[in-house]
Amino acid sequence: MTLLFLCALTGSCLGAVDYDQLFRQSSDLMVQGDLDGALALLKQVPAPSAGEDASAFVSSRMQAGRIYASQNATDKAIAVCQDVLKLFPDNSEARNFVAALKDQLKPRWHTVLSDILRFLPVLAKGAVMTLLLVFCTMLVSPLGGLLVALGRLSRVRPVSAVCWFIIWFFRGTPLLLQLFFIYYGLPSLGITLSPFISAVIGLGLNYSAYLGEIIRGAIQSIEHGQMEAAKAIGMSYGQAMRRIIIPQTYKRLMPPVGNEFIALIKDTALVSTIAMVELMRAADQMFNTYFNITALVLAAAIYLILTTIFTFIFEKIEYRAGIYEHR
Amino acid sequence: MNIANQPLLKLENITKRFKELTAVNGINLEVASGEKLVIIGPSGSGKSTLLRSINLLEEIEEGTIHFEGREVGYILHNGKRQQDRPQAISALRAEIGMVFQHFHLFPHMTVLGNVMEGPLTVQRKPASEARSIATEILAKVGLSDKRDVFPATLSGGQKQRVAIARALAMRPKMMLFDEPTSALDPELVGEVFDTIHTLADEGMTMIIVTHHMGFARELADRVIFMESGDFLAEGTPEELFGAAQDNERIRGFLNRLL
Repeated sequence: MTLLFLCALTGSCLGAVDYDQLFRQSSDLMVQGDLDGALALLKQVPAPSAGEDASAFVSSRMQAGRIYASQNATDKAIAVCQDVLKLFPDNSEARNFVAALKDQLKPRWHTVLSDILRFLPVLAKGAVMTLLLVFCTMLVSPLGGLLVALGRLSRVRPVSAVCWFIIWFFRGTPLLLQLFFIYYGLPSLGITLSPFISAVIGLGLNYSAYLGEIIRGAIQSIEHGQMEAAKAIGMSYGQAMRRIIIPQTYKRLMPPVGNEFIALIKDTALVSTIAMVELMRAADQMFNTYFNITALVLAAAIYLILTTIFTFIFEKIEYRAGIYEHR
Repeated sequence: MNIANQPLLKLENITKRFKELTAVNGINLEVASGEKLVIIGPSGSGKSTLLRSINLLEEIEEGTIHFEGREVGYILHNGKRQQDRPQAISALRAEIGMVFQHFHLFPHMTVLGNVMEGPLTVQRKPASEARSIATEILAKVGLSDKRDVFPATLSGGQKQRVAIARALAMRPKMMLFDEPTSALDPELVGEVFDTIHTLADEGMTMIIVTHHMGFARELADRVIFMESGDFLAEGTPEELFGAAQDNERIRGFLNRLL
């Protein structure tokens, strides 16, 4: 306070002509953190009368504006700038500063919206690729799973041993490692596959192994009498499986298979590591280019939308598959 | 032996072991065409196992099965006895209808679908023909009005009648009933018996394993009492259930049931 008083005193003693000292003092106060003191000094510079040199006035008001802006007092900053513009409407420094300040005052959602509009087309393209991978895997893995399951149930020892091995291997190693092996490892054995084919093979094998165990469990959960009744009317093992046993597993399969396919949607993110541009990779690219977290939030939202749709579809299918149990 | 006198089914020395336990112990049996045979006996006496051995749901360790004069089910391969080819086994089962204690209807198919399934899938008949066979047989067991419902909606008695219809749709030469009424509420037993009775009246050859003595007495040409894998006694219902029965085991068993 004493310092402020002294400064005010000096300012008035020196008169209105030499403001250099005043600016210096206000800078010192700013450095010391006394922004209110600095502002008080700056406001001592009076508005110039006509023909007088205006530079000190303009500088003091602009400096005050910057101090207000640094305190997030945007409206006060605009007010001091407009003091300048009242006298000097053509002052471009003040005008630009006001425009920038007004921009800051615009609601946040506006910029978020423009970010979304910028990222969405790229992410949508990625999401289409993710869905394509999911559908290809959903096409391949139930068939693979059924083969593995029937193989495991086979009485032919070598067949069940091979199927046991497939399940053991693909469930027991990380999917990421399998993808790396297929995409980066196989070329050294002379087999070069495109990223997409590699991804479908990796995901397909992995999910065949998981689905295989689920399908085997479902087949074994069907009451033994069903197989006997089928055989008793003269059906072969294959006919009994196809017509009687497997159709009854559908309802029991839906909850665990739905789970697996939802896990699959998220697991496709792993193929971003083998040069596939899908949803995760697209989001990562946007994030790294613009350093904007909106891209990641948006990707999360798209994953959630996809998993929600799948959950809903599988609930419907489960209900339909078990319709014969409803009384 | 001429064809007319030839038994439809002839079992010789049928032996079935489950590890230590001998469930069926060297059984010999002939069943004539059109005969109604009832097998009774305490639980675990091997009745069901014998029945299941006939249509090869159980693999027997010893013995031979002749159906219509042919030996069925097992062949010698390099001097070793083994099960016949799956196709041959299925072909035999297609000619012998089987009805289970717990029905084992196909829950994912309608009543009509259950009855059509044999003709459609096993005999590979066109759907229209299979449907007309099934419709006709459902009418016979009195369930025409239930043709389009799923088994879950049926009573136990109705389920068992559908199971009988499912077996009949294959036009079997013989029917095996494995305790067809044991899983039913008492008030539902009658309708299943009536259905079997109708079938018997039409001349169907049948072997029935049951605990219902009244039914055995009414229907059977011949009754066999089985215990511990052996036939303890056999004869007409009068002989087995009559006052003249002097075997204490059988008297005791019958007294407990009646």
